[in-house]
Amino acid sequence: MPDEDQPAIVLDGVSARSGREFTLGPLDAAIPRGWTTAIVGTNGSGKSTLFRALLGLAPLAQGKLEVLGTQVRPGCDERYKEKIGFVSENGHGCENSMTAKEKAAFASAWYPAWDPPYYRRLVRQFDIDEKTKLGKLSKGMRRKAELAVAMAHRPDLLLLDEPTSGLDPMIWKIWLEELRTYLADGDKTLLIATHITEEVRRLADYVLFLHRGRILAHYEKDRLFDEWRELLVQGTGMMSEADAVRLLEETPGICRVERDGPGLYRAQANGAGQAGRLASRLDVYGFRTLESRRMELEDILSCMIQKEDKNLEPA
Amino acid sequence: MWLPVKIDERRPEPLYHQIESQLRGLILGGQLQEGTALPSIRELAASLRCSAITIRRVYQDLENEGLIRTRQGAGTFVAGVERSDRDRHRLGRAAEQLEQAIDAGLQLQCSLEEIESLFMELVRSKSATSTGGYPDA
Repeated sequence: MPDEDQPAIVLDGVSARSGREFTLGPLDAAIPRGWTTAIVGTNGSGKSTLFRALLGLAPLAQGKLEVLGTQVRPGCDERYKEKIGFVSENGHGCENSMTAKEKAAFASAWYPAWDPPYYRRLVRQFDIDEKTKLGKLSKGMRRKAELAVAMAHRPDLLLLDEPTSGLDPMIWKIWLEELRTYLADGDKTLLIATHITEEVRRLADYVLFLHRGRILAHYEKDRLFDEWRELLVQGTGMMSEADAVRLLEETPGICRVERDGPGLYRAQANGAGQAGRLASRLDVYGFRTLESRRMELEDILSCMIQKEDKNLEPA
Repeated sequence: MWLPVKIDERRPEPLYHQIESQLRGLILGGQLQEGTALPSIRELAASLRCSAITIRRVYQDLENEGLIRTRQGAGTFVAGVERSDRDRHRLGRAAEQLEQAIDAGLQLQCSLEEIESLFMELVRSKSATSTGGYPDA
């Protein structure tokens, strides 16, 4: 099993600028080696800038960034990149006139660990069109070719930025299977930015929530779904509905409250796992919890954003 | 290998607890026999759509309890289980289920006396049709 004492990526107060308006960070996080971390965020959350920073393509304004044991800074030893596979959100324009075959030939010269039989297998599995120029391929077709090239040197760290947008469901399934085989050896680290809930569900071990350039939360995935619950609670007859809603809304951990029939309320809450203090707190107020259901990723994200925005409001 | 483990999104227990207790049940209940190879951590995580961290934790706990064994390079296997452990588990599980049924009765405003007489009635009608008991006794 992987050595968790040695993270694949360490962000220590990292901030980077992208364009005139956007600032990423400051970010503090350790991405564990040997596990899959999903980055989940809204558009413009800074996912792509983060990937560029990891590859030394977005200069740091501040902080210290370590990737696979190398401190990333101008003039650093760039060999760490040989152990990285990267698929960017949008294909590189400069590769438009290349075919997949040419791109692979170029990559195979660059990566010492390039594995030709493995690449051939990915070409077959993904049904890749090797002869058409990348710029002429549909988004999904191009994506497949880029994924195969990014994986063919069996990188220690695979960085995927929205890798599957445009893939058809058949290829998506094959891709998941291939990715699982790739991860099976236990030492590979995958960092994947995705807004596809199913990919987070099936792939991730950790989830990093990014919003407006900042980390909202960094969770072990199953703890995330254990902790965030939608509760169906019943109020006492003694309390008016408005009072009940207010009381629920003021309860720490509860983020969103809706009425759901007479005397019934739906509350989305953090810290609602078994060991949480939330249930006993509700008990004290006289609420009875009838149901506790796991929440969808999107709802958790929107709760976190709502809370963050509330915190930013001037008091 | 496919395991009959089901995750109930509405149960309050943490995910690892649900998976662990079901797997323990399959082993102690005899559905998984000694020597059976279990799926790899990643395989099981993928099929249950949970994190590999959770499965690793489950396997570690069950290994500490002596219910499974990991052989380096070969995988994870079901260990031998004492008859007394199986009995304890069997009765414990049954008690849990009965307790849930009693709670359901109480929620329906039944008194304990009413529940008791219902229970005895049901036991009598069952004993007319089934002998019950241990499957391999």
